[in-house]
Amino acid sequence: RALVAPSLFEGCNCFRQRLVLSTLSGKRVKIRNIRSKDDNPGLRDFEASFIRLLDKVTNGTRIEINQTGTVLFYQPGLLYGGSVEHECNVQRSIGYYLEALLMLAPFMKTPLRAVLKGVTNDPTDPSVDLLKVTAIPLMKKFGIDGDGLEIKVLKRGMAPAGGGEVLFTCPVRRSMKPVHLTEPGKIKRIRGTAFSVRVSPQMANRIVDSARSILNKFIPDIYIYTDHMKGPCFDPTDSNLYFSSLFQGGCVDSTNQSLSLLYMTLGQQDVSKTLLGPLSPYTVEFLRHIRDFFQIMFKIEQQKPGEDEQKGGEKVLMTCVGAGYSNINKTIK
Amino acid sequence: MEKKEQKRHQHKHSGPKADKKNRKKEQGTEPERDERKRNPRAFSVQSAVRMAKTFHRTQDIKTKKHHIPLVDRTPLEPPPVVVVVMGPPKVGKSTLIRCLIKNYTRQKLSDICGPVTIVSGKKRRLTFIECNNDINSMIDLAKVADLVLMLIDASFGFEMETFEFLNICQVHGFPRVMGVLTHLDTFKNNKTLSKTKKRLKHRFWTEVYQGAKLFYLSGMVYGEYQTQEVKNLGRFISVMKFRPLVWRTSHPYVVADRMEDLTDPEDIRLNPKCDRTVSLYGYLRGTFLKNKCQVHIPGVGDFSVADVSFLPDPCPLPEVIKKRALNVKERLLYAPMAGVGGLVYDKDAVYIDMPSGHGSQQQEEVRPTTELVQSLIGTQATLDAKMAASKVSLFTGTAALTPEEVQENEKQNPMESREWDERAQRERRRAVFADEDDDDDDDDDGDGEQESDEEEDEEEDDEEDEDEEGVTTLKKHDKTAAETAAPPVKKQKCEVPMEMPAFADSDDELEKSEEDESEEDESEEEEENEENEEMEEGEPAKKSSGPDSGLCSEDDDEDEEEDSDTDEDGDGTVKSKMSSKHPEEENIDTDDAEMGYETAGALRWKEDLAQKATEAYLRHQLAAPNLRKLVYGTVAEKEEDDSNDEEELGGLFKVNRPEKSKKVRADAMDCSRFQPDNSHDWDQEEMLASIRDCFVTGKWEEDKDAATLLKEDEELYGDFEDLETGQVHKAKTGNKDQAEGGNDDEINGDDDDDEEEEAPQVKLDDDEVQKNKRLEKKRRLKERFDAQYDDGDATYFDDLKEEMQKQAELNRQEFEDVDDEIRVQYEGFRPGMYVRVEIPALPCEFVTNFDPHYPIILGGLGPSEGNVGYLQMRLKKHRWHNRILKTRDPLILSLGWRRFQTIPLYYIEDHNGRHRLLKYTPEHMHCGATIWGPITPQGTGFLAVQTVGGIKASFRIAATGVVLDLDKSVTIVKKLKLIGYPYKIFKNTSFIQGMFNTVLEVAKFEGASIRTVSGIKGQIKKALRTPPGAFRATFEDRLLMSDIVFLRSWYPASVPQLYNPVTSLLMPVGQKETWAGMRTLGQLKHDLGIRNKPNQDSLYKPVVRQVRHFNPLHIPKELQKALPFKNKPKQMQAKGKTPRDLQRPAVVREPHEKKVAALLDALSSVYAYKNKKARAEQHAKHKEFLKQKEKQEAERQKRMKEERKKTYRAMGQKEKKKLKSSLKGASKDN
Repeated sequence: RALVAPSLFEGCNCFRQRLVLSTLSGKRVKIRNIRSKDDNPGLRDFEASFIRLLDKVTNGTRIEINQTGTVLFYQPGLLYGGSVEHECNVQRSIGYYLEALLMLAPFMKTPLRAVLKGVTNDPTDPSVDLLKVTAIPLMKKFGIDGDGLEIKVLKRGMAPAGGGEVLFTCPVRRSMKPVHLTEPGKIKRIRGTAFSVRVSPQMANRIVDSARSILNKFIPDIYIYTDHMKGPCFDPTDSNLYFSSLFQGGCVDSTNQSLSLLYMTLGQQDVSKTLLGPLSPYTVEFLRHIRDFFQIMFKIEQQKPGEDEQKGGEKVLMTCVGAGYSNINKTIK
Repeated sequence: MEKKEQKRHQHKHSGPKADKKNRKKEQGTEPERDERKRNPRAFSVQSAVRMAKTFHRTQDIKTKKHHIPLVDRTPLEPPPVVVVVMGPPKVGKSTLIRCLIKNYTRQKLSDICGPVTIVSGKKRRLTFIECNNDINSMIDLAKVADLVLMLIDASFGFEMETFEFLNICQVHGFPRVMGVLTHLDTFKNNKTLSKTKKRLKHRFWTEVYQGAKLFYLSGMVYGEYQTQEVKNLGRFISVMKFRPLVWRTSHPYVVADRMEDLTDPEDIRLNPKCDRTVSLYGYLRGTFLKNKCQVHIPGVGDFSVADVSFLPDPCPLPEVIKKRALNVKERLLYAPMAGVGGLVYDKDAVYIDMPSGHGSQQQEEVRPTTELVQSLIGTQATLDAKMAASKVSLFTGTAALTPEEVQENEKQNPMESREWDERAQRERRRAVFADEDDDDDDDDDGDGEQESDEEEDEEEDDEEDEDEEGVTTLKKHDKTAAETAAPPVKKQKCEVPMEMPAFADSDDELEKSEEDESEEDESEEEEENEENEEMEEGEPAKKSSGPDSGLCSEDDDEDEEEDSDTDEDGDGTVKSKMSSKHPEEENIDTDDAEMGYETAGALRWKEDLAQKATEAYLRHQLAAPNLRKLVYGTVAEKEEDDSNDEEELGGLFKVNRPEKSKKVRADAMDCSRFQPDNSHDWDQEEMLASIRDCFVTGKWEEDKDAATLLKEDEELYGDFEDLETGQVHKAKTGNKDQAEGGNDDEINGDDDDDEEEEAPQVKLDDDEVQKNKRLEKKRRLKERFDAQYDDGDATYFDDLKEEMQKQAELNRQEFEDVDDEIRVQYEGFRPGMYVRVEIPALPCEFVTNFDPHYPIILGGLGPSEGNVGYLQMRLKKHRWHNRILKTRDPLILSLGWRRFQTIPLYYIEDHNGRHRLLKYTPEHMHCGATIWGPITPQGTGFLAVQTVGGIKASFRIAATGVVLDLDKSVTIVKKLKLIGYPYKIFKNTSFIQGMFNTVLEVAKFEGASIRTVSGIKGQIKKALRTPPGAFRATFEDRLLMSDIVFLRSWYPASVPQLYNPVTSLLMPVGQKETWAGMRTLGQLKHDLGIRNKPNQDSLYKPVVRQVRHFNPLHIPKELQKALPFKNKPKQMQAKGKTPRDLQRPAVVREPHEKKVAALLDALSSVYAYKNKKARAEQHAKHKEFLKQKEKQEAERQKRMKEERKKTYRAMGQKEKKKLKSSLKGASKDN
């Protein structure tokens, strides 16, 4: 008897989500009409590079792409992990690839040790540093801890040329712990890094000064490291950005919403709760895909801010029962 | 032999020993208690190391007792316990079930057919399943059984099936097993009976566990077991506790107790072998079942579920739990396959029940109904025909069915009254108005369109006349039911969208209420305004989205996008708004409309929604959008349907509009970064103030605020009563309350005192509130106290346990108050629900060859468990199986839910991690096995049998094991020795040929180590040009030409990709246990009569020894010189050929001469004869003479001896005399 027909999708929107979820759920995926109306139809180089990365970390993956690159058939293999080195396309930063790896890494057969080469910071994708300071603590909440878990920026690389290098290692887990992240807590201190590349090191100091001048209104305990060629981009506008993310933020920042939701979905069959800021469009798409692949729906409750509480905008409480997913790739001896 | 009477011991009554004893008696056990004090040395530390060891050991034992705590996920209302009654044929399984049912429900069930569910107690229901003597059924039922009643014929003893079943159970997680001994009345002798009992008991204990319960059913009374014994057994079953088993707690499963074929009869008529759509009913067990998940039906295959819905419990537990026992009406019995159950009108069929509440009802009355129902189930006729038939026979046959009973039935079956929503409308209707249906039966598919039109019309009507809600809907349903009588599948099509519970509206209402609480009416008005705006926007959008909108230029893309968004937002509400004025009515209105079309257009709603989400936020959530709708998109969906309606022209053509916006969305940038809106101006103070509380410097929550905490402390320690004076000092509680309530008004400390005085006059409600607050506070304080003081004792284990308990609590509470319809969407269907699972594309044999005696199990599969890959397993041949297993012989495995045939390759892991192929499984050892099979989580146990068809005498379970690893590639290798021969040998270098065929092959193996059979190691150096495949190699010693050189290498073995599910349920009735898959090589050879052609070299032949030929001895010349002459090799010249002249000529005699010679010959022979004779005579004479002579000699010797004797005697006497005389003389002398 034939296998169940692959899920059909259209367009290159949410490309990563689909492939990642397909890999985790073992369901086959067919994506059609990828930029079919575009002047330059088909998959872009960065997407091809992403597929190649997936192929590297899996075993037995079958990928079929038609001649124009507008149709992709993806039959996931088993997540293998191990030592992987990947040359990321410079059209997107390493964050693009790293985000997907973060989702897959705990479910590998052997602990992942990935060296990603390419652009470390760019305006479109979350920078490597951002993921380092946000995603890693989040993963620890789900029980992925131990010394194996880290993101390390070995070299920094900028847009046209690339040349950056990031090391990501992650241990494997059999299952995810249910979480209850409903208390956002308070901000005690602010730490950051300002980096500058190919300009005077003085620039970084100036960035730090201006950032401090704004943040000092709230809290005196601020330290921003200046590192020529290092650290997340932090300039005066960014401190505003920081505020708005605070205004929106829940327990998990907006870039990692989908990551936390995925881990909640793949948890044991227990209730997990997370308080999020407003759902980003990406997360909304992700929620739909989770329903398609895992038949999990989240209970979404809006929490209006209290009258005299001044904690920023509305929060969303996401609740779900985990799918009872267990890492089928991990070997038992 | 008589034994001597032993002397008895005499107790001492006096003396020191007696005193000591008396003293002891008086003091009691005191000295023993004081052992440590009395003899401290015996208890002192002798050796620190040993002490540490014993300590470790006790700790080890203690920790070994711990089990990893698991979150308790048992549902509040658990599904019925599955009791499998198992045993070889003719042991009394059916009788036992019948007796137990009678014991519990006071009802007689003549035919046990399929699962029988009963209410056995206030909190327990049981499902009895009889397991027939087929290994397939045994395997399937062992996977779902909670309790196994293992029937054993005591007069015969254990049978192989019993042991097989126990082993199957062991592999798939051991359910509770209770043995039941029957046929005990056949024993005449009491002693043999008790002996047999004991023997069987002990054997049973070794198999299950020491002390496992074994029941004795001593004898039959009128064809039934003794009431008291059955009652005892029933009691044991009712109080039994069950442990959770890993596989079952992680997978949902349904033991189907009812099956309906939903296939369009027309399709069946056209093609009797078409795939069927079937709905299966049963209690959900295990864990949550998600809609649209994948299931495996053991014996059939993998299927994806089209739809799951939950039905009211057909066999519910009593609603109110009272102290007393169940009354007769509460002892329900539900066995649809056996023809007993409620009269249920539901989606697909009518279901008739005998009033189960009547225990007094007689068997005769029940009989016909049962038959009727069975006939109903059995028929393959259309539903309409079934209905007609059922109705007719219902009224003709059952006189006993009084109107009261019917009434009662209705009451008993909430299906009828409760399930009164849109989804199940038509079926019910048809059942009720069967007369009308008959008329409409003739309607064909052609009416379909018309019908749908009518439906739509009606729906529109519905929307218009909202005034008389409840009543009209009822009427309308009736009408539709009467009008539409399409065949089932047709209905299916229409219904599928309706099946999804209408959560959106209800949710909507929920949220409405929430909003109402939080927001003022103003906001609501605002909302309405907003919606109105949307509506207005929506209108033009609809216009623009006409057929020619595709021609729009690209610059208005964005506009269009927005338009369509708002379109989707608003469109749904547009119509309803138009028709109605009151918001509530409108709500209901939309509800109705949505209910009809929910899941339709499954994909289109997704488009634009992300965009919408962003826009929603841009609007600052003024309209308070329903996030759930936004994300999972039910509003849009409904709206979409509406637009679809517009687009469809007469149901034939569909307007296909190119949607620019959609395309743009579909190819949008894939980026997780959420660019926050830039509308906030973070230079403004109030914006900054809005996040002030996020920092530690900001304000804290009331319960964590430093001031409050301080006050709490004051409350704890400041409140005391002076016992001497009786004065009561109170802490300033009012202050605290104030702090809690207002949180920021701490200025008015003075007022608090006043308030305190006023406190007694405050209303009761306030008291309550305060009391609660105080309790809350106390609880918190207690927690803190506990945390401080109990921390020392709390181990990691305790913490973990507590955590689990909290999680379990949360799991229970989270969705407790949510409506079931919505709850199943979040959680999935929870275990304990009675569900209906619809499965499309089942093979027709499943229906045509349906036999209710075989269990149908729907086993839910986890994510990616539907895929196929390579499985590495640890396997051991069962010690009772009498043959070892051969690599590449097909084997039937039972793994997870599945039974399938596959081809395993056995291997063993070498010390360096290499997986070396084995030809056969080891006899008493584990080995690895790799198969191509369904992905199953690691740690899952499996068992293997070689055949499932037929019954063999020997033990059928061939092997057991566990899954270790899953992969998409194989790592097994097989040893391969390449052999070559030297053809030229230098000192340590040799040229080898015959190992490879080409230069390229050699090149691949350059540097590889080789070896000769005699043990000389070497290395391949370089390929030679000629002959092809030859190479130069060096060795550690010189080779001989006779040496054989070999290269040891490993060749990857490939596992054949055979995964053949055992489709035993598809076999014709009566042949279900004859499924035969691929045969093993041995079987094939046996069946085809092929004898193995042995290797000629392996055969025995007569031994022929060759004669050994030795070369002549060669002595060196030097040595020859040194040798003595006699040892010197003689230099004998070979005699030359005699020359011709020297050769003597042959003599030819004359006749005369011949005569002379003959005469001479004769004379000489006569002479010779004479001589010979004379010589013989002479010889004889001489012999005689010798004899004579010997005689004479002997005579002479004798004589001489006599003479000598005489002389010696004389000499002796003489000597004596001489001695005597000398002695005498001497004495004289003396």
